[in-house]
Formats: sequence, structure tokens, C-alpha cells
Amino acid sequence: MSARISRLDRAIGLIPWALAVVFGAVAVHLLSLLALPALAPHSAYRRLAANLPVGEIRLLPRATPDNPGPSFSDPFAFLAVCRFDLTGGPLRLRATADGDHPLSVSVRLADGAIVYSGSDSQTPGGRFNILIVTRSQAEAIDAARDEQDEAAAADTGELRVVAPRSKGFALFRLLALREGEADEVAAQRAGFECKSEKPPA
Amino acid sequence: MRPLLAATLAAFGLGLAATALAVSGEPGFDPVRLGPWTSWPQLGAPEIDPYERANVAMDGFAPIGLNEGLSFIARADDLGAPLDARCDYTISGTDLPARLWTLAAYSEGGRPQANPANRHGLTSAGLLRTDSGDFVIAAARQARPGNWLPLGSTRSFVLALRLYQASTSALSSAYDGLSLPKITRGACP
Repeated sequence: MSARISRLDRAIGLIPWALAVVFGAVAVHLLSLLALPALAPHSAYRRLAANLPVGEIRLLPRATPDNPGPSFSDPFAFLAVCRFDLTGGPLRLRATADGDHPLSVSVRLADGAIVYSGSDSQTPGGRFNILIVTRSQAEAIDAARDEQDEAAAADTGELRVVAPRSKGFALFRLLALREGEADEVAAQRAGFECKSEKPPA
Repeated sequence: MRPLLAATLAAFGLGLAATALAVSGEPGFDPVRLGPWTSWPQLGAPEIDPYERANVAMDGFAPIGLNEGLSFIARADDLGAPLDARCDYTISGTDLPARLWTLAAYSEGGRPQANPANRHGLTSAGLLRTDSGDFVIAAARQARPGNWLPLGSTRSFVLALRLYQASTSALSSAYDGLSLPKITRGACP
């Protein structure tokens, strides 16, 4: 009888430890999950943009078996990537589609979240003129611009993208219609722009 | 002191194992399944959840943005049999609601497959079609007349179909009316 009571006491004594393990495991799981995008060694940001100077465009070769790029890259997609760090000021992207080859632009954070994506059919004249800013930069620009400036910005088709975090990359995706269009695609990619701008006063 | 150390180690082990398990499966929740084709529309959306974000980072891929198009993956044929590069496949359908669509074959890890023809996919712009706009693609290791998608030397493979500037919305019930190509297995060794 006393041995049974002693076993029961020991089992009851383990309950707080078991609960501590469960809560600890949940905490470790959630923290590691949230940290993974920043730590993953092969994330798209690390592969494509981490070592790229801010404001510089890197033209990526199309995906092949020897140079596969990010997993499941489309072999007909010619990508160009441009890293941003908005702590030094906003970043402006410019690109113009030729009307034949579909062109799209996406703005992604370092953790992979896509904050903007759009294609040339959704922009006036197939032209992208995107200003990536932080919330405070957007407010500063609004405060500094008068109505005339706003109208001028609207005329240029400027699209302002407010990034919730300061680091990330922009991805230009230009599609070849068929095999062997590298020259046409290269000429169009040469017109892509990615420039840091002075922070608004 | 010893129970504390054991409990700490157990919590770390279980927590990390749960994370490894969470990022080892499919890349997202709420997949859209149309026959053998699967898509995870939320991967390209701003409101991607932390599990999907971790999965995308670990897999190292850059999903198509919501307004860029739709992306589908097939790992099996229409009858549910895993895709096997030793077999011939017929991929047939009618034109898809997109400005341009592409079809490509990959290894399980998402690399384009090496093949003697050095071609890794097809686009809607380069396809031969019937008068009604239907198309038939032959996926095989050996060259085929017409629309040929070369397969590589590895046994299992994955097909990826991308609809760029699709006229269907990635987050609406428009998927219901979308008719994707059928994947039919032909001769097998």
C-alpha cells in the first residue's frame, strides 16, 4: 500500500516537469519557426541578394541543370534582382515592358514576404516606376510635397510601396516566349533601374 | 539540478523536432487541388503565415507573386500514380486563361532536369495546336514529334505549370472553373 502511494506521489511530482517540457517545447518551436527565414542558409534573399550592394542590379542567368537558381525556377524566366536597405533612404525601381515579353516586378522582404507584385499589363504603358519607402519616409514625403508635386508624381505613374521592414529585395521577372530569345531579353533587361534616393527631409 | 537539465534538453529537442517536421512537408496550408495539380496561392500573398514563410525560406524558392500569376505542381498523373521518367506521358488540354503559360520538368528537389536535347520546358507561345486550340504534349526521355517535353535521367520527376498574368484571381473561387491539362501515363517499361 505504502509503495503504491509512493509511486503515485512520484507521478504527481512529475506533472509540473511534464508541463514545463510541453510549454518549453512550444516556445522553442515558435521561436525557431520565426527565426528560420532569417537563418535559412538557402533562402531566396541569401542566394540572390544578400551580398549585392544596395542599388545595384544583378542579372541572373536562366535556370539550367548546372545553374538551377532558386528551387523550381522557371527556365523561361529571366530574373534581375536588386537589394534594398531603406535605412539609407528610399529605393526607386524603373522598368519598361516591350509589349511582347511579359514583365512583372515584386518587392520582397528579407524574410521572403511579398509586399508588392504587379505585371506590366497592370501599369500604364507597361512602365514600372516604384518608390519603396518605410512608413516614416512616406509620411515625410507627404509632408514635404505640395499638391503640385503630388500631381507631378501621379503623372509619372509613380507607385509608392511602403515596406514594413527596411531590408529586402526587388525581383524583376521577364519571360521569354520561346527558346533562344536571350538577346531580346538581354536588351530589355539592360533598361532596368534600381537607385537609392536621398532620405526625405 | 538534473531534472531541470533533462527537462530543458527535452523541451529543446521536442521544439526543434516539431519545427523540422513543420518545414519538411508541403510548402503551405490550404492547397488548391485541381486533378493532379496543386497550388498554394497564399505563398505569393502578403499575408503568408509564419509556417509557410519558414517553409519557403528553407526550400529556397521565390514564389510567384499574387499579381504575377498562378503556379501549380504535379507529382502524380491523373490516376494518382507518381510521375516516373521511365514512362511516356501525354499532357493534354485546351488553352489556359493566361497571357503566357509555361510547363517544365524538374527533379524532386526543384532543379531543371539535364537531358540530351538541353530543353527544360515549353511555353504556350511555342506550342503546336489543333484548329480548336487544343494541345497535346508528349513528355518522354526519347524525342517525340510535335510538342515534346524531354525528361531527364532521374526516375522521379515533378511538373510545374505557371500561368502568367492569369485572368483568374488567385484568391477567388475562379479556380473552380479552371481546367488544367490532363496527365495521362502511356507506355512504361
